[in-house]
Amino acid sequence: MTLIDYMEGYRILKKYGINSVESAYVESADEAVKFSKGKSIVLKAISQNALHKSRSGLVALNLSSDREIRSAYNALTKRAQEFKPFKVLAQHMAKNGVEVIIGGNTDQQFGKLILMGLGGIYVETFKDVATRVCPISRRDAMSMLMQLKSHKVIAPDAAAEKRVIGLLLKTSKMFENTNIKELDLNPVIMHSNGYEAVDIRMLD
Amino acid sequence: MPKEKKYANLEFIMHPKSVAIVGASDNADKIGHIIMHNYIDEGYPGRIYPINIKSTGTIMGRKAYKSVLDVKAKIDLAVIAVPAEIVPAVLDECGKAGVKSAVVISGGFAEVGNVALQDELVRVAKKYAMPVIGPNCLGVMDPRSRVDTLFLPTFKIDKPSIGGVSFVSQSGAVGSSVLDMINSEGFGLARFISYGNAAVVDEVDILNYLMRDKETKVIIFYIEGAKRGKEFIEIAKKITKIKPVVIIKGGITEAGAGAAHSHTAALTGSAGAYEAVFRQFGFSIANDLKDLLNFAKVFETQPLTTGNRVAIITNGGGTGVLATDALYKNGLTLATLSKESEEELKKTMPSIVNVRLPLDLAGDADDKRFSEALSVMEKDENVDALIVIALFQTPGADSKLAASLIQFGTTMKKPMVVISMGGSYTQAHRTMMESSGVPVYSSPNEAADSLAALIDYSKYRKGIV
Repeated sequence: MTLIDYMEGYRILKKYGINSVESAYVESADEAVKFSKGKSIVLKAISQNALHKSRSGLVALNLSSDREIRSAYNALTKRAQEFKPFKVLAQHMAKNGVEVIIGGNTDQQFGKLILMGLGGIYVETFKDVATRVCPISRRDAMSMLMQLKSHKVIAPDAAAEKRVIGLLLKTSKMFENTNIKELDLNPVIMHSNGYEAVDIRMLD
Repeated sequence: MPKEKKYANLEFIMHPKSVAIVGASDNADKIGHIIMHNYIDEGYPGRIYPINIKSTGTIMGRKAYKSVLDVKAKIDLAVIAVPAEIVPAVLDECGKAGVKSAVVISGGFAEVGNVALQDELVRVAKKYAMPVIGPNCLGVMDPRSRVDTLFLPTFKIDKPSIGGVSFVSQSGAVGSSVLDMINSEGFGLARFISYGNAAVVDEVDILNYLMRDKETKVIIFYIEGAKRGKEFIEIAKKITKIKPVVIIKGGITEAGAGAAHSHTAALTGSAGAYEAVFRQFGFSIANDLKDLLNFAKVFETQPLTTGNRVAIITNGGGTGVLATDALYKNGLTLATLSKESEEELKKTMPSIVNVRLPLDLAGDADDKRFSEALSVMEKDENVDALIVIALFQTPGADSKLAASLIQFGTTMKKPMVVISMGGSYTQAHRTMMESSGVPVYSSPNEAADSLAALIDYSKYRKGIV
């Protein structure tokens, strides 16, 4: 299996109507500053040779001033030398909210599976996830949410519930209709009036 | 080669008019001897043909044959208990003789790495389009047709009575021990199928057969793996709309998860995939073997309900409290009585009874007090299901109470389960109730867990989350 290019993944999400934070590759500190348009950004070095970006020190968060962006860009590219070849991805900072994981995997016996649960750093700790076989119905999506201990955290009200169910159905459709074999949208940040996928990992 | 059918026909295996027992012997140590003994012992009404290559006339007093080819009569089922290496040849003779189906008891195939020999068996079965159960299995038992291919001596196992629960087990060991326990749980068996290596007839064929089987009301299933994933899903979707299937998965390994490239792959191993399939397509998941039996009794006898408001009636206060806790642990809630019910109970109950749920009828409660309370709950629209705690150690609880509980538990439109725990006096009353169709449990948690399984399944049937 090979990792699908980040920006290609970003385009696939867009095609299926799944929101993700604005992202672009940058090739210099100047380009990174230009991308920020005065807002806070994140810089990530992306390499096939480094599966855990944050563990390898390849992520710089919450960069707001031009000076911060420039110095983070330089430090990041220096650290990334050992993972060559690499690209630097710039993303706008996501708003605060609840971190959710939506994922996909391909089982030898049953085919494509979709997963949802409490995301971010809590995935490994709580393993509070629900899985179903694709394609999923609206009822399946609802029962996945209800199965989670954290369902009130992820969907505290009817509007949030509708959002997460919609996202789950769109992701299922995308996963089903593409050659993607493994998928992590982790985290997707759910906030009071929307959601954004912040990190994308797709393998085909 | 004949065209392969999508599902194997198991009718000749479950209801054969004639059986050849290949490997039958006068030597009581041989598996073929035990199998033949069981056929005779249980009064199997069809023709029995003992087959043994070394036979010299009779086996167990019946005319014996060296080969099925010598029988020159119709044979519906061959039960094969001979050394593994000669099984394909024996099966080929069966095919030539026009035998309709076979159960291969013998082990020594893929389960010990002998894949080539198993492939040979499959090739022969396909050549004659013959449904074959096994190898490496106990085979089948059907108390109605008195077919019993199990090589378990009859005195060692409590044979289940006739009923509506079919039990399917990939493993023979799980099969025989659970089968032995079914009788003491007070429900009856429709079919038992232990299918071993699933070389020819697999879980999809078996579910398809049981889905159409009128005698089967509930299925309990020990599975290690499904051979045809997509077809398994296809049949699962259909069968759970018709009858409940309680399932337990053995062999929860996470091999391969270590090499996963994503969080999702690490979180959804093979066991996760099975759990997803079970949940999505309406199976009731059992967490241990006891759950298989506990869930089976409530599914076999009680009506479905999608409501989760449970009334508890008890003649022991503490047990009522524990049962209330058990409800909430299992996602159920304690019902609140309607005003009318409260008024009615205030009129009929003695002053020592506090009219609220859990309704403690006090230690001197007799069958009349239980019946009055039950008839109120039966009518109350705020009550979806009932748990009745009947402690038979108390002075008022006797056979009349058991009779009243049978009356309500078998006629009410709402599901009712009973909790009774104790020694031989209690046991006698449990048996009375269970054999009449009222599920009885030994602990509040087992009762609440079983009721929750019934409600979850009812919701699935109605498409409610």
